[in-house]
Amino acid sequence: MKRILAGAVALAAMGAGSAALAQDIKIGVLYPTSGGGAIYGGPAMVGHNLAVDEINAAGGINGRMLVTVARDSKLNPAAAASAAKEMVTKDGVDVLMGGLSSAVGLAISEVAKQEGIVYLATIPKTIQMTTSKLHPHVFRTSSNTDFEGDAMAQLIKKIGGKKVCDIQLDYAYGHDLADGLKAALKRHAPDVEVVLDLRPKLRATDYNVFITQIMGAGCDVVTSGLWGSHFVDFAQQASPFGLFNNIKAYISGGEVASHEIAGKMGDDYPPNVISNTYELWYHAVSPNHKVFQEKIAEKSGTKETAMWPVLSYTGVKFYAEAVAKSGGTKSEGIIKALEGMTIDTPVGPRTINAADHQANTGQFWGPMVKKDGFSYKVMDPVTYIPAEIK
Amino acid sequence: MTSPLSKTGMAACLIILILCALTPLLQSDYLIDVVTEILIVALFALSLNIIIGYSGNVSFGHAAYFAIGGYVNAILLTTYGWPLLPSAVAGVLAATLTAAIVAYFCTRLTDIYFAMLTLAFSMLVWAIVFKWRSLTNGDDGFTPVHVPAMIDDRTAFFYFTMIVIVVSIAVLWVITHSAFGRSLVAVRENVGRAGFVGIHTRRMRWQAFVIAGFFAGVAGVLFGMYHRGMYVESAFWTQSAQVLIMTLLGGIYSFFGPLIGAAVLFMLERLTNEYTEYWPTVLGVILLAILLFQPDGLVGLGKRIKNKFGGGGSP
Amino acid sequence: MLDLIREFSPGLAILLTNPQFAFIQLLNSISQGMNLFIIAAGLSLIFGVLKVINFAHGVFYMFGAYVVHTVFMDWGAPFWVGAIASALALGVIAAIIERTLFRQIYEAEHLMQLLLTFAIVLIMGDLAKVIWGTEQYSVSYPASLKGATDLGITFYPSYRLMLCIIGPLILIALYWFAERTRWGRMTKAATQDREMLAALGINVPLIYTSVFILGSALAGFGGALAAPFSSPVPGMDATLIVECFVIVIVGGLGSLWGTFVGALLYGLVFNFGSVIYPNGQDVFAYLLLLVVLLIRPWGLYGKPEAGGH
Repeated sequence: MKRILAGAVALAAMGAGSAALAQDIKIGVLYPTSGGGAIYGGPAMVGHNLAVDEINAAGGINGRMLVTVARDSKLNPAAAASAAKEMVTKDGVDVLMGGLSSAVGLAISEVAKQEGIVYLATIPKTIQMTTSKLHPHVFRTSSNTDFEGDAMAQLIKKIGGKKVCDIQLDYAYGHDLADGLKAALKRHAPDVEVVLDLRPKLRATDYNVFITQIMGAGCDVVTSGLWGSHFVDFAQQASPFGLFNNIKAYISGGEVASHEIAGKMGDDYPPNVISNTYELWYHAVSPNHKVFQEKIAEKSGTKETAMWPVLSYTGVKFYAEAVAKSGGTKSEGIIKALEGMTIDTPVGPRTINAADHQANTGQFWGPMVKKDGFSYKVMDPVTYIPAEIK
Repeated sequence: MTSPLSKTGMAACLIILILCALTPLLQSDYLIDVVTEILIVALFALSLNIIIGYSGNVSFGHAAYFAIGGYVNAILLTTYGWPLLPSAVAGVLAATLTAAIVAYFCTRLTDIYFAMLTLAFSMLVWAIVFKWRSLTNGDDGFTPVHVPAMIDDRTAFFYFTMIVIVVSIAVLWVITHSAFGRSLVAVRENVGRAGFVGIHTRRMRWQAFVIAGFFAGVAGVLFGMYHRGMYVESAFWTQSAQVLIMTLLGGIYSFFGPLIGAAVLFMLERLTNEYTEYWPTVLGVILLAILLFQPDGLVGLGKRIKNKFGGGGSP
Repeated sequence: MLDLIREFSPGLAILLTNPQFAFIQLLNSISQGMNLFIIAAGLSLIFGVLKVINFAHGVFYMFGAYVVHTVFMDWGAPFWVGAIASALALGVIAAIIERTLFRQIYEAEHLMQLLLTFAIVLIMGDLAKVIWGTEQYSVSYPASLKGATDLGITFYPSYRLMLCIIGPLILIALYWFAERTRWGRMTKAATQDREMLAALGINVPLIYTSVFILGSALAGFGGALAAPFSSPVPGMDATLIVECFVIVIVGGLGSLWGTFVGALLYGLVFNFGSVIYPNGQDVFAYLLLLVVLLIRPWGLYGKPEAGGH
């Protein structure tokens, strides 16, 4: 016991020591760098580091350098909350950033609220974060489930779907996307009927029981937000049943049109998929965008880059701009600066709404097709659906 | 174990207590958080030891009562706006009641069957918490928990936790050192003989389980308010295994053993996680070391060292 | 009436009106149950002889899934070579663990045994991360079983049908081993009176090792078979081991036939439960367990504990 107390005192001294180096601006980032989420967390860190390096190379912000304190959020809300809290109380970070998975985002947001520190959510899309669980310290630079649901409803209307089966993961993102989609359908296509709601668990791998239910329900459109490996597993298991061939379209949020999924699946990528992504390495909207893509390609060691860097990059840029504008790292100043702020991102200008702290981040949507010169499916045509509720 | 607290023991307890109480003077939020959390897991581990160390059964599902206490209190405070006292009491009662029902079935069995059944019941609790989304918010965790203004401050909550934990530990001490505690040990030492001397072994084991459930519930209530959130992992069986290892690490045949085990393991996990993601390996190696070389835990190790170097005092 | 049912449960309505759908759910239940049976049979076998509940059985299953990924997907060997390799690899790992660690604890309390196997879970779980990383892999179906088979009333994925067949085959093989071979008779004798067997000059530790190897190889094989629909990923063992526990407790610890029935019941309850009341998906399996234990505390085919402790 004595030894523990001695250790504890030493730790306290360490905490005091780090506070002395207040010159640097400490960014606490939480991406999953171990476990199933590491394939997203890794690329996200690439974008984050690129932004930090660029800012520091240009002399920092008002002479202060950016320092990153990274912790593993493990795709687990409890672990992320503990890590976030420790970064604030022990490492003394000035801001929290990141979060992958909506549940993790909500957990970090809660710590930010308690500790009075700003949190920039760069990936989580649950609408709750900027509605029912909104507080002054949370900002979102990614899209959200209402925007995504609205885009999906527009697409259902466009292809003339009538009977929809919806399959969503059983956590904040899945439930909120289902709600966002249903609300949007009332606006865009009130005659469309959602006949089946299925909710496999986050991290589920066996979808047999769900696939057979979709087959039995006889819908012409399947909507979903199964992301990453969830989609890979679902598609592989659904193919023997001929699920994708029997419907007009599988309209999916969750960015399964991103290259990391399409490239990984190759020929196993199913037909009739319409989906979204924040970024496509083979599609640049401006010369600036092209330059950004080349930098990321260099850092990642491949030109076929993932879509996550642009999100983490944008988050750092927003924060840096807010520090410069408010002249410091005090939360009150940062909040005031971020509300209504517009910055130029690689994919175009983005503005944070002052009322709900949500950035107008839209996404690229389109059908995934086979195209000459590619060994995997690519999005064609690419359409940018802006972030707005029509 | 059944001997009353010696003078040196009493003094040591008092010193530790005072040191704990002085933590906030160090002006470190981090340290206050750490001590608060250690206190909570320590009570959790002590409660489990009532089942293991005293009645001699292994529960692999103790996290269930911890989670029930935490969730019921969190939901009543936040969703239904109850005041703290009735809400906390309801949380603890819910945990106790569930423990009473589960124990009714489990105490029909012993040994492996008992362990497996406690595990299965806890997983049922986990599944219900997971799927009852409208009430518990499912996989996302129940956040935020509304903590009453009186204790909605780091230092205030620390002292609140400390008072609750110290009182709980004192009560546990009294229980384990009463006639009831002694007969529990008799049950553990020799089921057959305890039966002969007229102790109703099954009822005793049931009572021990219920008491353990009660205090796990208390720990859970504090945990939910400390984190301002409850998460489904709290009820998962790996959580039960973790607290079991804490208890074992400290030493199951000593009253304070689990407390020490909890503190050591908790700090070790914190520090390990800063450097590596391979905390499970560290934990696994520790566990192997205890099992193969030191089955009576840290407290036993301390005693052995003390005896070897001829240190006197109470055994 | 049907509208009322549809209101309560759209899944039940489809089940009642669409016999083809009901049949598919039946096949889903059997295929899932049979895959779980192969894994749980190993657990049950080990318990029956060694009297150890092996928490590490889930990790063995996970290793099986990873090994088939490496051999089949990375090295390009045929799927079945990968599946056999999984079984062999786990047999070797099991032999090492049994010889070095389990030997020490056969005489120890059951708590110690449980915790020792849990320590193996922790260490091997990390070991898997070191070897295979943390990415979730997907394993393709073997080419010959990629499509669907025409069963007359419906099409059903060939791979799943194969599971429905292979499960009973393994049951028969295990029975044959236990009843018809010298090894099986000695194993049986070892569970009843190991001192007597040792006095007869039979190498009892060798019997223990062989049982542990066989049981663990089943976990590896089951993991390999599951890989195409339970993608190898860290942590995949944590829920599976509990499913296996439920199955062996429902069936009765140590009873092979009980494990078979338990696995089938699990599949039926899980699949039909999920269709009828999707929100209760995970709850049903545990409710099944409770109901069985209320009626028979030692499981459907289990024997009461021999006296107290």
